[in-house]
Amino acid sequence: MTNFFLQALAEVGTPSVLGLIVIGVLFGIIGGSIPGFTVTMAILVVFPFTFAMDPVSGVSLMVGVFVGGYSGGIVSGVMLGIPGTPSSITTVYDGYPMAQKGEPGRALGIGVASSFLGTIISVAVLVFFGPLIANFSMNFRPWEITALIVFALTLVAGLSSGALLKGLMAAALGLLITTVGYDRNSNLRFDFGLPAMGSGFEILPVMIGIFAFSQLLGNIEKLKDEKSETQKIDTNVTIPYGQIIKDMAGQKLNTLRSSLIGSLVGALPGTGGTVANFLSYDQAKKFSRRPEEFGTGIPSGIVASEASNSAVAGGAFVPTLALGIPGDLPMAIMMGVLILHGITPGPMMFEQNPVLVGAIYASLLIGAVVMVLCNLLLVRWFAKISLIPQQILVPVVLMLCAIGAYALNNNLFDIWVLFIFGIIGYLLWKAEVPLTPLILGVVLGDNLERQLFRALELNESWMTFLTRPLSALFLALAVASILFSLYQDRKIQRLKNAALRENI
Amino acid sequence: MLTLTKDRALALALLLIVAVMWVESGSIAPPTSWQPYGSALFPRILLVVIGIFSLLILVRSLLVKVPKRPGAKQLIGEWFQSRRTILALFLLFGLYAALLPVVGYIAATIGFLVTSLALLMGVDSRRKWLINLTLSCSLAIIIFVVFRYGLNVWLP
Repeated sequence: MTNFFLQALAEVGTPSVLGLIVIGVLFGIIGGSIPGFTVTMAILVVFPFTFAMDPVSGVSLMVGVFVGGYSGGIVSGVMLGIPGTPSSITTVYDGYPMAQKGEPGRALGIGVASSFLGTIISVAVLVFFGPLIANFSMNFRPWEITALIVFALTLVAGLSSGALLKGLMAAALGLLITTVGYDRNSNLRFDFGLPAMGSGFEILPVMIGIFAFSQLLGNIEKLKDEKSETQKIDTNVTIPYGQIIKDMAGQKLNTLRSSLIGSLVGALPGTGGTVANFLSYDQAKKFSRRPEEFGTGIPSGIVASEASNSAVAGGAFVPTLALGIPGDLPMAIMMGVLILHGITPGPMMFEQNPVLVGAIYASLLIGAVVMVLCNLLLVRWFAKISLIPQQILVPVVLMLCAIGAYALNNNLFDIWVLFIFGIIGYLLWKAEVPLTPLILGVVLGDNLERQLFRALELNESWMTFLTRPLSALFLALAVASILFSLYQDRKIQRLKNAALRENI
Repeated sequence: MLTLTKDRALALALLLIVAVMWVESGSIAPPTSWQPYGSALFPRILLVVIGIFSLLILVRSLLVKVPKRPGAKQLIGEWFQSRRTILALFLLFGLYAALLPVVGYIAATIGFLVTSLALLMGVDSRRKWLINLTLSCSLAIIIFVVFRYGLNVWLP
């Protein structure tokens, strides 16, 4: 462990890789601080730049974007009162009131310090639990892996805010997309007579198309509906370091609890920063002696929010690296990056590519330090950049998506794939179909088919999935997750109906 | 006559896709003695799953009372009218993809950026034109230099 970590540290510590981490963090903060841009979009835009890099450089750049992105929401949350990313919604609750009271520097400082500590604690969780889970999952055979993928998909679909049916349908649709082209037996499927379809769809143009178009064009629609006014903000911020150290000294337990919540939530499929954010804020309020002060601009609220959403970064790596199953969209893209560089995430990665795993740990740690420095030194610039209008951003990002899709294989067909899936993604988004299960289906489709048929080739009975304890457990959990979300949907519907009746 | 809702349109479109792909799956190589499950089984399982969910979405949408609305033709017309900018952006992107191999990266990218920025920002002042042209030209060239010389990636 120490050996490969030192070796990884030596590789990450070179000036070029350090430079890439700085660029990644900077871009991540910018992406996170622009309302409506999101961490995922920042990752998608940076991703094509990793094509020509070696795995350590590419992964370090992407990890930098992750770390910066999860902390980027602080700037717009505190300065504008608008969460830069959904994972920093609760930062606004206390960060903005504190800034309005004339202490924006204090709010930003507390947010940055909490983000830093949250990232560090989540790396500790990753370093401890990653190898443990990977070691345990080495015993998984095709039946267990198949059942685990099914469980991950149902869990993500079930968490799709009151749209279970559409979530499950989207997951199946994502899996179906991966069946286009030559299969494991070299048989051609669904090429519709087009030779270009023979090799199937590359995961990345499909993911970028589905996510980026719906997100960017959705932003344009919102702009048209809301007609937002240009906001003028005072970017002259000074950070009161002494006050922040004092504030943070009184938040040890809150920081630890929020970071652990963030790490745990990050490790669960289908959750991510937004859930961590709300859960941690709620817990901090419950544990507080003065819960009524939450929302008025107190340090506890900012700490709970920022420590938890930044801790998601480390936590989310646990299932991706240890099981090869990404829990959310940014991790699905991260998995795409690893696959592109010829690395298959999963338990074997710890044995086959220990240096790369170590490089991820090291990049997370270095990224956290860089994030603090960037946020404290460049906060004025980030505040100004966060005001870039969507009207300028959207065409630029669309162009970068097109170039990214092309640069993948120097193939124009991939731009058309991006375009077609952009239209599909936009239409599905308009029909209120959750897109995360679909993208996860696209990422996991090949592996699910391979494992399912490997299992059936080893033992032709489908019942084996139920007679092997772990496989049966995962399938039972999949059913339970569906039943639970059905129950949740009913409950939400009842509450909605009750609210409607009260209004009438 | 039934009103076309989002859910109904989604379910019907998916059922159509399922039907087309089911027919197409007939042309996949059949199972053999050394490939007992064949290559069509997995997609067919998925098609059945999607078909069932689409039917459920359709049935659920029929159980919900929908206020009477104009016919599908008029609704689609209204939708096109209100989403003109989005449709124009899609069109511009399609045009960009088509022109890339013909006129090359720099000309196509500048063309795409200038037209889409003009569409979104408007063209009612000299300042907007200045921002538009400066941004489009500089960005297209910077990205070209970064990819071509920094990352050794050829652009068309």
